[in-house]
Formats: sequence, structure tokens, C-alpha cells
Amino acid sequence: MSVHLSAIGLEKSYRKGKIQVPVLRGVDLEVEHGELVAIVGASGSGKSTLLHVLGLLDGPDAGSVQLSGERIDNLSEHRRDVLRNRTFGFIFQFYHLLPELSALENVMAPLMIRHGVRAYLAQRKMIRKEATALLERVGLGHRLTHRPAELSGGEMQRAAIARALAGSPEFLLADEPTGNLDAATGQSVLELLRDLNRERGLTMMLVTHDAHIAAQTDRTVRLAEGRIEEWATVLA
Amino acid sequence: MYKYLLCWRYLRTRYIALASIISVTLGVATMIVVNSVMAGFSEQMRDRLHGVLSDITIDSHRSEGFRNPDEVMALVRESVGDRVEAMAAAIETPGMATIHFNGENYTRPVQIMGIEPEERAKTGDFAQYLVDEKERRMPPSFHVGRDLKMKAPAARFLDPNEKDPFQDVINNDVNFQVPDFGAITGWSVASVHRPDVNKDIFIAPRGAKIILSFVTAAREPKPASDSFAVVAFSKTGMSEYDSTHVYVPLKRLQQLRGMGDGEGRGAVNQIQLKVRKGEDLSKMALTLGEALTRKWPLVFEVRTWEQKQGPLLAAVAVEQSILNILLFFIIAVAGFGILAIFSMIVVEKTRDIGVLKALGASTSGVRGIFLGYGLSLGIVGSGVGMLGGLLFVWNINAIEKWLSKVTGRKVFDDAIYYFPEIPTKVEWFTVAWIVGGALTIAVLASIWPAHRASKLHPVRALRFE
Repeated sequence: MSVHLSAIGLEKSYRKGKIQVPVLRGVDLEVEHGELVAIVGASGSGKSTLLHVLGLLDGPDAGSVQLSGERIDNLSEHRRDVLRNRTFGFIFQFYHLLPELSALENVMAPLMIRHGVRAYLAQRKMIRKEATALLERVGLGHRLTHRPAELSGGEMQRAAIARALAGSPEFLLADEPTGNLDAATGQSVLELLRDLNRERGLTMMLVTHDAHIAAQTDRTVRLAEGRIEEWATVLA
Repeated sequence: MYKYLLCWRYLRTRYIALASIISVTLGVATMIVVNSVMAGFSEQMRDRLHGVLSDITIDSHRSEGFRNPDEVMALVRESVGDRVEAMAAAIETPGMATIHFNGENYTRPVQIMGIEPEERAKTGDFAQYLVDEKERRMPPSFHVGRDLKMKAPAARFLDPNEKDPFQDVINNDVNFQVPDFGAITGWSVASVHRPDVNKDIFIAPRGAKIILSFVTAAREPKPASDSFAVVAFSKTGMSEYDSTHVYVPLKRLQQLRGMGDGEGRGAVNQIQLKVRKGEDLSKMALTLGEALTRKWPLVFEVRTWEQKQGPLLAAVAVEQSILNILLFFIIAVAGFGILAIFSMIVVEKTRDIGVLKALGASTSGVRGIFLGYGLSLGIVGSGVGMLGGLLFVWNINAIEKWLSKVTGRKVFDDAIYYFPEIPTKVEWFTVAWIVGGALTIAVLASIWPAHRASKLHPVRALRFE
């Protein structure tokens, strides 16, 4: 196994009014190809911030992020946009589906962002087919034309997962994907993620504060006060 | 691609934004209606001005005019050749018209024009405006026919068999009451408009006597006057002309003003020119002016019909541009409405913007969504406005009739404007300008919100509650 994504001495602080609040204070982390890693920690420990910095939604104040050995946090804005679009897939606690679009269109969104009008129109059928297949994979084949408002929480999160998978990313970043769901639904979503991890060899990193969820991953990383506190390896 | 899809979805789901462009719609529609009606009016007015004035007029401001119209015409032919289609000499002099009606004398200031009607008809639309009381067309002639003579009160005493020994006396009476020389008066010179019954009451119908007073053309001007029988009316639709112009035979006026030499060579103070179609009038007027001045300095003034009516035409143009400026402010105000609503929509969509960025949307892509949205709103707003405005213009007379019926009073009084219908003229160039301006304003108003949206930090946008 080779290292897929690594964080080296990541530091990040936010400004709250006049005070600088340090969130990450030197995080070192390596995630291997195909690994499913859970990040746990108390609220405010910097879990989400770490995820954002790793996924290039935010830049670190110090340290670096490397993808397959190449530094990516200092790339141009355009290159980072492309990486977010092609390499990373994001899943959020509150699903964040676009309310104006149907489930299918939401899943197609990353591909619509990737392609210009002409390229999109040329491959429209393929893109549609891929998105439909993804929604069928997550069990929403019967909900293609429904708007997010017409879906249940579990269904919305499944649609969001399908969207994260659209365009075949290598690395999935999930920020409390089960945090807003009841236990049973949360469990089914996690199982879906695990299946995908196995099926597609996707590297995944999920933030959670649910120990039960964390226990079902390959490895759990605990974050406290902006530092990695302990490494707990669970049986793969 | 996502930009267009989102624009389209936002357009279809945000009704509040559609409300913000109603003012764009109204502004565009109003501007199209106003411009079309004003263009229609000014075109009609120009037509009539042009018709009355002929293409180019050579005036002499000396009261005795010039005694050599033939030589002047010859010089005109020499300098511009066959580009002149027709010429007519005339006398124009201020005076008074007195009309006897209901036992009272009514006196009005008039512009007396001595003309030869057949010639005059060739240099402009003079003949087309000639009508009788019932607005039936009349020929360009001063002939006082037998029918008019018979309208004299004394005529009923005439004996058809001419056996009456007093026949001559009665004939004298008839000729006194209906003079031998005819006059064509402006419609409003001979009539009074009664708004209460919405009718023009004729105080000088055909056959009535009209007494014209003026001054002679001598070095020491003396008052002179003579009677004419009204034979027809000139109804041009330009109140300035219809309420002042009185046409009389040129030779008679020359004689009365002492401008004739008794051998058919009389003086005139004006020559009207009709120019071949497509000629540059002001250039030709300049050429003629130079040629005439070289031969007879300081006698003539050569002007095109537009130059003669310069202030009036300029006033209409100024009115139109001021109206346009004012109306464009409406659309500018609408721009601020779009700005405000867009800023709100950007706030509302903050999290979606964060999501789009997480999915890889670029800064310019996000900006494009909102610029495109602004442009689509502009297209919808000005498109509907254009359609509404054009429909209004094309059906303006039906709308006017309906409004008159509903409100019970005439909205467009044809007695005031002389137009049987509201004239309109859609100038596509103007329409394109209006629509283009509205689109520009809509896009300008969305630049700032779009820029703000594109600069949102994705993490802060995602955390936005």
C-alpha cells in the first residue's frame, strides 16, 4: 500500500474578532490508498477544518498537503478547482443538495461543472447514464426526478453520496455523514460507504463523533486541541 | 453547463426577482410607446410642414419684394438646372381678415398669400389640403362660380327671365355680397371650434365675404383692403397654418398693394421651389443663396423647409430626448431594484455557492451564474416590455376608443390634433436601443452581487446558517 494523501505539520487558525483562535496546531497524517479512516474528536477539535484543508476548500497557514507525494495546497486556484472536481468527493452532514435541481441533476452537477456546454451536450447521454447508475447503486433509482425537498434525510444523504461519486473521484471526504440521521439510517449510510470503499477501492476519510461509527472503519484518528492524539488501529 | 441550468432554474423559481424586473418591463414598454407615438406625430407634422412649405423657399424681406421673378427663376435654373422640378412666385404679407357674422364683425390677424393656385399646387401639397365645409376635396382655383353667387341674400330676387328692370341693381347687390375674387382661407380662419358640441362652426362658409386689410408696398405704406368670396378651405392639420393662412389671387394682390406695373410684370416677395427627389436640400439652398447673393446682394434669403421651421422641429426633438432621459431613469431605478434583490439572493444562496465551489466550480463560474441570471432577467423583462409596448402601439387606437368609452370622455380629441387616429411609427433602431439599454442596466446591476458571490470563501459559505 502506498500513501495516498498526507498532511505534514498542518497549522490553521481562525480570527474571531480580534483574537486568533488556533484550530490545527501541527497535524501530521498519512492515509493510504483504499483506506477508510475515521477522524474523531470533540466539537471544536478541528476535525472539519482538517477535512477542508485536506480537500483544498481551505488553505493551511503552515505545513503542506501532498497527494501521492506531490504538494497540492499551493497550486493555482484553477488547479485546485480541478482537483476538487476530479480527485475529491465531498459529503456533508446537512447533505447540501442544490434545492433547485432534481436528484439526478444534483448527481450530474460535478460533471456539468467539469464540462463546458459543448462537451456536456456531446456526452449528455453518457453522463445521464452514469448518474442514473450511481443513484441506482445508492438505492434511489426510483427518485431520479425528485427535488431534495421531496426526499427523506437518508435519501438526501444517499443522493449526496451519489453526487460525491460522480466523475469517479479517488478520494472521498465525508464530514459527519451520519450526524443528522437516526441510528438505523446512519448505519445503512455507513454500510453503503464501506461497500463503496471495498468495491471501488476508494480512499475515504470521514469525520464523526460517533464511536460506534468510528469502530467500523479501518483506522480511527483522534484529534484533540488541534493535534493528533492517538492512533487506534482497528482490525481491517 | 451548470451555469445555464442554474440560471434557468433560478429564473423559474425566484418570483421575487421577476417582480424586480417589472419596472424594467414597464420602462421598456413606456419608452417604446412614447417614442413610437412621438415619432408618428413628428413624421405627420413634418409631412404637413413640408407639404405647405415646399422644399426650398427664396424670400425677400423688402416689403415691395422684387420686380424680376422671371430673372430670379432663370438664375435658379442656371445654377441648379433640372434638379428643380417646379417654381412658383408668391406674395406673403401680414394683414387682417374681417368676417361679418350674426351682425358682428370678427377680425383676425392673418398671413395673406398671393398665389397662382395651379403653380402653387405643383410646388407642394397645397392642393391636397383644399376642402369644402364637409371636407370634400376642392380644386386649386379661385373661381367664384354661379353656385356661390346664388348664395348671396340678394340672389333670390334675381329674375331667371331677366325681365326685371331692376336686374342690374340686384346684380350689383349680389356682387357686393359675393365678390368676384375668390379666396381660400385656412380652416380655422373661417370657423370657430365649439368644444361643448365638438364641432367647427363656420362663420365664413363658402360664398361668404371676407375683407382683407393690409398695407401697400409703397415707400410710405398706406392701408388698403378689399373683399373676397371664400371658395374653399385649406386644412393642413397644422393649427399654425390653418388659423392664419389666407390665399388670394396673386395678380389681384399685386394690383391692390401697388406691386404690379400694369403690364403683367408684377413684383413678388417669394419663390417656392420643388426639388427633384433625393437631392440634398440644405446643400442646394446654400448654392442658390450664393448664386443669388452674387448677383443681387442682400436681397434674398434661401431656406429649406426644415430651416424655416427650425425652432418647431428642434422643440419636438428636444421634447423627445428629455422624455427619453426621464423614462430611462425608470429603468435605471429598476437597476437598483435588481441590485437589491440580487444581493438578497446571493445571501440566500450562500451555502449553495459553497457547495458549488466544493464540487469544483471556479470563481468565474460562480460569477457567471449570477451575471447570466441578471442577463436572463433583463432579457425576460425587456422582452416582455418590448412585446407589450409594440402590442400597445399597434392597437393604440382600439385602446383609445375603449378608454374613451369606459371613461366617458375623449382621450384623444381629433378636433385638437386634426389627426383622425393617433399616428404611430415604430423605429426599430430606437427599439433596439431601448432593449439594449435595459439589458445593459440589468447586467450592470448584477455585476456587484455576482462578484460578491464569486469571492465567497467556500468554507465560510458552507458554514453559513
